[in-house]
Amino acid sequence: MIKLKNISKIYKTKTVETLALNSVSINIEEGEFLSIMGPSGCGKSTLLNIMGLIDEPSNGDLSIGGYSIDDYNGKSIAKFRNEHLGFIFQSFHLINDLSVVDNVELPLLYRKVSSKVRRQMAEEALVKVGLKNRMKHFPSQLSGGQKQRVAIARAIVGKPNIILADEPTGNLDSVMGNEIMDILLGLNEEEKTTIVMVTHDEQMAKKTNRLIRLFDGSQVV
Amino acid sequence: MIKHILTLIWNKKKKNFLLLLEIFFAFLILFGVFTFVVENMRNYNTPLGFDTENVWLVYTEIPGDADSTEIAEMKLLLRQELIALPEVESISYSNNITPFSGSAWQTGNDRNDFEFNTRIMQHDEYYEETGGLNLVEGRWFSPDDALSKYDPVVISKQFRDQCWKGKPVIDSLFILDDEGEVSDFVKIIGVVDHFKYMGEFTSEYNVTFIYEPPTSKELNTIYIRVKDNPSPNLEETINNRIASISKRNDFVIGTLESRRVRNSRKTWMPITILLGIGGFLIINVALGLFGVLWYNINKRRPEIGLRRTMGATKSDISKQFIGEILMVTIFGILISSFFTLQFPLMKLFDIENINYYYAMLISAGIILLLVLICAFYPSRQAALINPAIALHED
Repeated sequence: MIKLKNISKIYKTKTVETLALNSVSINIEEGEFLSIMGPSGCGKSTLLNIMGLIDEPSNGDLSIGGYSIDDYNGKSIAKFRNEHLGFIFQSFHLINDLSVVDNVELPLLYRKVSSKVRRQMAEEALVKVGLKNRMKHFPSQLSGGQKQRVAIARAIVGKPNIILADEPTGNLDSVMGNEIMDILLGLNEEEKTTIVMVTHDEQMAKKTNRLIRLFDGSQVV
Repeated sequence: MIKHILTLIWNKKKKNFLLLLEIFFAFLILFGVFTFVVENMRNYNTPLGFDTENVWLVYTEIPGDADSTEIAEMKLLLRQELIALPEVESISYSNNITPFSGSAWQTGNDRNDFEFNTRIMQHDEYYEETGGLNLVEGRWFSPDDALSKYDPVVISKQFRDQCWKGKPVIDSLFILDDEGEVSDFVKIIGVVDHFKYMGEFTSEYNVTFIYEPPTSKELNTIYIRVKDNPSPNLEETINNRIASISKRNDFVIGTLESRRVRNSRKTWMPITILLGIGGFLIINVALGLFGVLWYNINKRRPEIGLRRTMGATKSDISKQFIGEILMVTIFGILISSFFTLQFPLMKLFDIENINYYYAMLISAGIILLLVLICAFYPSRQAALINPAIALHED
């Protein structure tokens, strides 16, 4: 599903070069739930950004679903992200000026979908995360766990094959964290969605199919 | 996307309120400026209806108790002497209501099948040539008109269109004088296309020319049409001839063109000042808009990163920011337009409705263009934000 071969990422400034990823190679199968662990600054988020096509590797090859990213340009990468990838972030990244349902609809805005269908799909996604009754609320009226569930609904509303989650339980207490983890596990088992999750939490990582550890930009296991 | 932008604007109504207010007042002020400018420029673009180049005016003071026969003889002689000058093309007489003088003679009544109001001009048979009038129907006065049963009049096209629209007007009779009896009917013998003698920036009004023979002591102003580039001593020659024939020195010679320029300056000045104020306002609004957009974009970097991650292209981001500011602007213009529309609907001032509509269109056009220009650069910068970086700036 996702193939990374000798991926390196170097951040350059005028005076300093920082090696964020050093020749990382990972092969993620379709329907797999993979977790990535490592200390802060080891390159986990950079790796996730590269898989999510929002950052480019300095070296190496990346292919998703059999297609090399070299075959895509800016517009087609945006289209690919929209149709095949769902994102979940530690800090939720909900737009405070939009209601819950409008936040969930966001990825569908960049597809040719009528507003009626958009609303229907968003409601279905909110049902899946148990927030149908909070549709008209605004993010400021929700708890951290509810916000993350909205973010999950937004990630799954477009029915992507792959979900990339960057520390989805990082800002939540253990009870809410487990709730979110249960939703992700359910998506992986029932919908066969491929999930790549960056986490600091060993307990959460143990619930996934496979664990990869990074240290100083290199793959440890 | 439009619905999404409208939702965003509505949810951020408090944040957008000041911007809306700025657009609202900018539109109102520009509307005021452009109503004045459009009204004046549209008037300026309609012809005066008479020539000012190479036309000189001489004001003479004929005492009311002067002997009519002596005056008639003097005026005939004066005419002969002046027309004999090789640089003089034509001579005519009028009363003291002359172009750009500010004087007006006005009458009107409802004693015909219609109600009217008209300015009155008094001229002899030579004014058509001296003034360079353009007749669209009928003819100008002739000496025989002094003997006709009904007093002959020449009217302006606007007067014809207002009161005789679609009807034959030549040889029509109507009561001109407010106090007139049946015998005071006048007969229309001609129609001139324009005659804006009050100034280039005044609107068209109804004008009626009535006839007086050149020998009449009512006509104490002399119009002299001279050839192009008259010699420097022509004015002195004319001055000497008039002085010797009239035995007076209390007359003034001036050119109609200089009076036109002096008269127009009174309107050009406020137009220039108002446009300057309008321009200053536009610059201020532009700076404000630019600042607000720049601030908004910097505050919304994580949102931009998120949208890019969700599949928005660079152009989607640009379009969204331009779309948001355009929507707020359109709302501001619509609210403002509600108030400005009351001016033509309630006829608050004596200004043609079309001038208000033009002013609204120009004001809206300028504000929209300004917003587009101010939104273009910040929106492009927003599109260039790297989502991977922006998402970690929360």
